[in-house]
Amino acid sequence: MELLNTLFQSAPWGALRTGLHIVFLLLLVYLLKQIWDLRPVTGLKHLAKPRAGFGLVVAGIGLLLIGVLAYQATWQLSGTARPDFVAFMQSHDRRQFNPAHWIQRGRILDHRGRVLAQTREVAGPSDTEAQRWYPYGPGFAHVVGYADPRFGTSGMESAANVSLNGGTPESLREWGQLGRQLITGGKRPKGRDLVLTLDAELQTLAYRRLAGRPGAVVMLVPADGAVRVLTSSPSFDPNRVDGLLFSGPDPDARLLNRATAGLYPPGSTFKVVLAAQSLDRGQEPVLSCPGDGFTTSRRYPKIRDHEYYSARRAGRAWGGFGRIGLARALAKSSNVYFAQLGVLQGHAAFQQTIERFLFNSRVVLTEGLSGRQLMRTGRIPRIATSDQYGLAQASIGQGQVLVTPAHMALITAAIANDGVAMRPRLTPDEPVQVLGRMLGAHSAARLRQMMRQVVSGGTARGIDVPEIAIAGKTGTAQNPKGEPHSWFIAFAPADRPRLAVAVLVEHAGYGSAVAAPIARDLLLAARERGLL
Amino acid sequence: MSRKPPRPETLAERWQLRAPERQLLLWALVAITLGFLMLLGANPKDGLPVRWMDFLPLLALAVSFSAAHLVFSLLGFRGDQVILAVTALLCGIGLLAQYRMGVFTGEQVGALAYLVLPAGVALMTAAAAVCMNGRYRLAAPAQWFWALLSLGLVGLLLATGQRFRGGVYAAGFITPTEPLKLTVVLFAAAFIDHHVKALSKWPGPIPLPPLRALWPLLAFVALLLGLLLWQRDLGMIAILSLTLLALLLAGTRQPGYLIYGALIAGAAAYALLGLFAHGQRRIAVWSEPFQDPTGSGWQILQGLSGMYAGGLWGEGFGQARPSYTPIAESDFIYAVIAEELGFAGSVLLLAFFVILIARLYTIAARAKSPFGMLVATGIATVIATQTFLNVGGVTKLIPLTGITLPFISHGGSSLLTAFLVLGLVLAISDGEPKPVRSRPAAKRASSGRSAKPGRRARSRPASAR
Repeated sequence: MELLNTLFQSAPWGALRTGLHIVFLLLLVYLLKQIWDLRPVTGLKHLAKPRAGFGLVVAGIGLLLIGVLAYQATWQLSGTARPDFVAFMQSHDRRQFNPAHWIQRGRILDHRGRVLAQTREVAGPSDTEAQRWYPYGPGFAHVVGYADPRFGTSGMESAANVSLNGGTPESLREWGQLGRQLITGGKRPKGRDLVLTLDAELQTLAYRRLAGRPGAVVMLVPADGAVRVLTSSPSFDPNRVDGLLFSGPDPDARLLNRATAGLYPPGSTFKVVLAAQSLDRGQEPVLSCPGDGFTTSRRYPKIRDHEYYSARRAGRAWGGFGRIGLARALAKSSNVYFAQLGVLQGHAAFQQTIERFLFNSRVVLTEGLSGRQLMRTGRIPRIATSDQYGLAQASIGQGQVLVTPAHMALITAAIANDGVAMRPRLTPDEPVQVLGRMLGAHSAARLRQMMRQVVSGGTARGIDVPEIAIAGKTGTAQNPKGEPHSWFIAFAPADRPRLAVAVLVEHAGYGSAVAAPIARDLLLAARERGLL
Repeated sequence: MSRKPPRPETLAERWQLRAPERQLLLWALVAITLGFLMLLGANPKDGLPVRWMDFLPLLALAVSFSAAHLVFSLLGFRGDQVILAVTALLCGIGLLAQYRMGVFTGEQVGALAYLVLPAGVALMTAAAAVCMNGRYRLAAPAQWFWALLSLGLVGLLLATGQRFRGGVYAAGFITPTEPLKLTVVLFAAAFIDHHVKALSKWPGPIPLPPLRALWPLLAFVALLLGLLLWQRDLGMIAILSLTLLALLLAGTRQPGYLIYGALIAGAAAYALLGLFAHGQRRIAVWSEPFQDPTGSGWQILQGLSGMYAGGLWGEGFGQARPSYTPIAESDFIYAVIAEELGFAGSVLLLAFFVILIARLYTIAARAKSPFGMLVATGIATVIATQTFLNVGGVTKLIPLTGITLPFISHGGSSLLTAFLVLGLVLAISDGEPKPVRSRPAAKRASSGRSAKPGRRARSRPASAR
């Protein structure tokens, strides 16, 4: 007994014990072989000849148990492919030797390799602990998400959880690696880094310019759908996720990603959709726009232009734009013109247009192994053919029309990309996909000229800068809850667009005053960084 | 055609007859001893020196199984040579895992903990010795005694039972329903054997089971399962119903029983899950363990975490930390083994289970009397069902049923029952001394059944010679 105790405490016992472990398993195999070899003498031949059918039953039970083992293997051997499971083990398994604890979760990087999320070793109460660190903080909280032992994962941390945690083997080389790890027992999964299309500096600038006001900024590369900016405000600090964020009503709705899920009336930015509809029909009608407005029936209030109200506030009368064409109507953002245009072209044309512009659906921004991120597109209920006034209101982006900032960015990008909408994507590895054609190439070219005129001499002339030719459209969206929402959509350079952007600031007043300067500053910053 | 060897006369011949069993048992014990060394080697690391006492469970295992082997040799037992060694190995692995979970090292470990296993082996040996040489057939005429005993056992539980973890246990956590696995099998086997002709005849153009012959069995089953249902012993209900179906099928060779059985089982399961919160909770934990990972999903997820930590080869006995899985020594013992021996270890363990189950079914297939065939089929089905329900539950393939893993899990009544039924099957495998003379069997032989003439014609002359 003394001898045994000495042996167990001696240095070579560790190696010896591993040897015993192997010998033990080998002995079991040897025993199986002996049972197999002894079949001639253990065949129970002194009994009756075997009845039929029992062999089948045994085979069935054997198959059943093989099924159990196969299923067991999906936990025991390839448990890494189950994101919930790995998250559970990382937070709740106290076994120090559990490989889940060693997983060096991959970093999340922007398109230039700047770190958006990484795992740091920090000194915990008993041991060093891995802690997720988000250097850029709240500005990326919605799209990058968080990975917290208590609250799980969200955003890209959730969608790409599997590959960040080491991932499922995709290539032959990785299969080989996994096989070696399994045999040696040296499972030390290293997470894979995840590169996003986002630009850390532009997004930080966008979030800072929102300055805590509720709003969102989305910037896309029109040609391939790469998302450069996707930020929503107000936000939360992913470095300090706590229970208060999830419990109880939050008046600021900090968890809501306003960029992809917030529905707002688009106001005048929606006029580009009507303009596209008209151009696709080959029409640039000259319409009479009287100063005191337009209505479809005497029972409804008149739809008037902004100038009417400012003139009235100043105690003056306003004679209206008179007879104007589409380009001037867009530059001046004439409600009277577009309300008439919508009614003139009718319900069928409008319905067709909103379908082409992908209203009432969802678009996948990224598809990870363990989840995906979606964006909502706008919502427009079907307008009854008898409801002329509803159509007139919808034509100027009011009434029942709602959009998300991401959808407005997508529409802007399609205009910039000769009418073709590319699927917005958050990672460069995802394939470039065409979502559909929103408007004809010629219409898009003509619309780009018109939108340039909005900035060079129209409602957005305040943001015209000599460095780049910005084209855009302002929006000041009336809403029942207070001051109008401030919108601006833009792309630049106007002749060969390389970036498209949509900016929304809730209840901030004129689009030209609040949203447009943010868009201008982002485009200028992008130009400095060589993105334009 | 097999020639029946007479029972060897001299002691030397009898010793020689059991040589294969001796060889297998020896190697099984060597393997378990190595496992114990591995396990005890972890003790000094935890600050506990190894004492002679620590070898006591191993000693008890080795001595009791060797004694069983000696008794078989002395008696000239002709029965199965593989089962004893495989059982010893399974019990040994179970012992290692239980020891690991502190079953033998706690503060108030009574002599009982050490005695359960030897008592079980003794019970098995005694059962085999008493029932061998065809004597097991004496159980057949007493069919209604077994039925009454079954109901009595459930009644006993109802009278003395107390609720614990959603189930009913009698005083001292003894589960008196465990012997049901034996008594129900004996009753059903005797009943089916007695009425096999009527039960095999499915009348009419619409295939309906012969209810007139079947109703006593149905009434008994309905009463028994109803009582069990009252105690929410869903696992036992699953085992017994499956076994009854297997017996009907094996006895009559009528696939119709299987079809009706599946229909009734499906409908009953659906209805039960709607009625019992206990069952519903288990289904919910099974399908969505991550809904409540720190509450109801904790046990199964900790078990799976341990398996994942164990990986392919495991950490070795004594190295892993299976104690993080709650009550792992009984229902979740498979998770402990999978954690410490790895996926490779669990493959081997299940291989031995398949061998054991295959041996039991082989005995059923070759049993001389139809009654022996039915009893062996029933017992094999009990063990197979229990294994699948436990292992499937722990790996989250199926919902948890709270069933123990035969011969491995820590437990008194279930282990003793498992040994008892094993002894009975061993006795059946010993064969019969003379032509089968039991009254109904002889009658049937002369009348000649139409269902499967080939099978009977083949088996009959062997025993009639």
